[in-house]
Amino acid sequence: MWNHFGALLKKDVRMLVSGKFFLLALGFLLLYTAYVNLGYLRFMQMPPYHVYLYDPGGTQTQVSPLVQPVPSLEALDAALLEDANGVGLDASTGTVQLVLYRGAEGVDHHRADYALSLLGPDSSRLPQILGSNTPEQKARKEITCELLFFELAAVGFLGIAGVLFQEKGMGVIRVHGVLPLPKELFLLSKLAVFLLCDLGFAALLTLLNLGLLDGAAVLPAVLVQTAFLSLMMALVGLLCALLLKDFRQFTLAYLVIAIFAATPVFLSANTSVKLDWIGGHPFYHVYMGLKTAYFGGTVSPAYYLGAAGTVVLLFLMVRLAFRREMRKEG
Amino acid sequence: MNGIRYQLKSVWKDKFCLMTFLLPILVAVGMQCMGSIDLSSLGELHFAVLAEDLPPQTVRWLERYGPVTVYETEGAWTAAINEPSTNVIGVKGEGVGIRTAVSGDELEVFQQAAATLPALFQQRGTAEQARILTLERPDLLEHFQDIFVPGVLIVAMFMGCTFNAMNIISEKEDGVAFINEVLPMGPSQYVLQKVTVGFLFGSLSSVVTAGICFRLSWRDGGLMLVLILLASFVAALLGLFIGRASRGLMAGVVYIKLVMLLFIAVPILCALTGVDGPLAALCCLVPSQPAFEGILALSAGDRGTALHNSGILLLHGLAWFALYGAIALRRKRPG
Repeated sequence: MWNHFGALLKKDVRMLVSGKFFLLALGFLLLYTAYVNLGYLRFMQMPPYHVYLYDPGGTQTQVSPLVQPVPSLEALDAALLEDANGVGLDASTGTVQLVLYRGAEGVDHHRADYALSLLGPDSSRLPQILGSNTPEQKARKEITCELLFFELAAVGFLGIAGVLFQEKGMGVIRVHGVLPLPKELFLLSKLAVFLLCDLGFAALLTLLNLGLLDGAAVLPAVLVQTAFLSLMMALVGLLCALLLKDFRQFTLAYLVIAIFAATPVFLSANTSVKLDWIGGHPFYHVYMGLKTAYFGGTVSPAYYLGAAGTVVLLFLMVRLAFRREMRKEG
Repeated sequence: MNGIRYQLKSVWKDKFCLMTFLLPILVAVGMQCMGSIDLSSLGELHFAVLAEDLPPQTVRWLERYGPVTVYETEGAWTAAINEPSTNVIGVKGEGVGIRTAVSGDELEVFQQAAATLPALFQQRGTAEQARILTLERPDLLEHFQDIFVPGVLIVAMFMGCTFNAMNIISEKEDGVAFINEVLPMGPSQYVLQKVTVGFLFGSLSSVVTAGICFRLSWRDGGLMLVLILLASFVAALLGLFIGRASRGLMAGVVYIKLVMLLFIAVPILCALTGVDGPLAALCCLVPSQPAFEGILALSAGDRGTALHNSGILLLHGLAWFALYGAIALRRKRPG
């Protein structure tokens, strides 16, 4: 039996090579790594509010070095127009007047008070640090987690489904119907190949973007979550390829569906915007499992039970669809 | 005309192809039904305090800056501060003042806010006396929200590209491409038929999506129609390029995926980062960028920019058409 399994595995790997699956995965790995290192980290920066002071009479004597002096009122207006989150201090009339563009009410109060505090002696005090991540580490973990999820749930899934659809078109299922092999071996070898590919992809993406030390620390937990997600997506891909007649157009529609479906999940999981209905989104729980793995939290046993149950249920559905397809093919 | 009828007949049989065109419309309807997502809390300060730790007036003072959440236990308080998706600042009482705690992974602006909060608390009386001149500005976060709608529209416009590419690849795989070569039909007729079908469906899908998402005056609506028609034409042409370049289905899917990602990512990243100068001009080489900018400008009532972007799209249309013609002629000559 193991010999048969090995032969099937070899055939599946060959199919993936001819379908340019590995090339596509490598391309996306490079694209994602370039995006994290050249784009995302630069984009995810939010410096403190800039404060501009116009004080022609030099009335302010204890100005913090964080305040940027401007030579005229026009220069103050221009600076604020350019940097709408900044705060202007106009001390030309003797008393200090604050100038700022309206934003959220609470933030406006804070910006005003913060700007005024810079006209006195510096009494800021470093806050107590409770966590273990730096802003860069957090940004790297967050984006790597998002990209891995997107790759497995959308891009990788399409590769899987495309290869399976091609095999179906070539009559591989019909050939399997007459081979003296346990029918489940066909499904198991597919799952094993895709699982190994996804685990390899996850390991490389994590190590390349988090660094060797940070990456190795979270890798075991990440691989466990990747295995769940990979099995689920491979099984859904198998199901789609078996049940849908013309799969080609669907693969493209799916990419768009995945982008729109993943956006609220990323918004809820990574920002302070919490949507009430997000608990009902199937992607959310899987994504949170992966995110917890990256940030070193504990995942509840209920989640593991649910994920394992989903994998088993999907496998049974795929087996049913596969047998039906074999009967149809004669 | 007969050829186009046959093309339409073949589209009608391909149900998933029709679904591709319907998808942006469904997303637009979904977005309208769901209402806009409230993103205003993104830049806000959030505070975590322990139950019965701070006097009520201190909590009220904190609430001037942002929402305050009270936690019963120290463990829950620490967990809330460490939660990676938020930038919560923990506040505890210390004598007559306060002291702050953060996770350490927050953006610089929140770390700075936490560092200066105890000092602001001590100066709270004096700060309230200053005169404040508040200027009106369009909410930056609202602009962030508006990006979704043109994004959907861009997808709708460029569905024509997807359709044409897939259609040509399937024809190649099924052998229809060979049959086409022996039919009494010139290459220009074939190109015209293919572009027309992708263009018609892409435009139709975009017009319906725009009708759902925007309420425009007749003049603005006319300009939007020009933008949609031009962008759909360019997309349909690009589909021909992909179809021609792809040898098999898998390669075609890879090319389309890359083109789609490029079309969606470039305008959204440009809008978020606000690029200008030579880099912005370079981004305009991706046809979805002028289309996106034009739609954003129209939704803000700026007809000049929309017209300017329509011009860029027209140039795109002419350039891609000329390029396709040149490639087709070069291939024909040796044979």
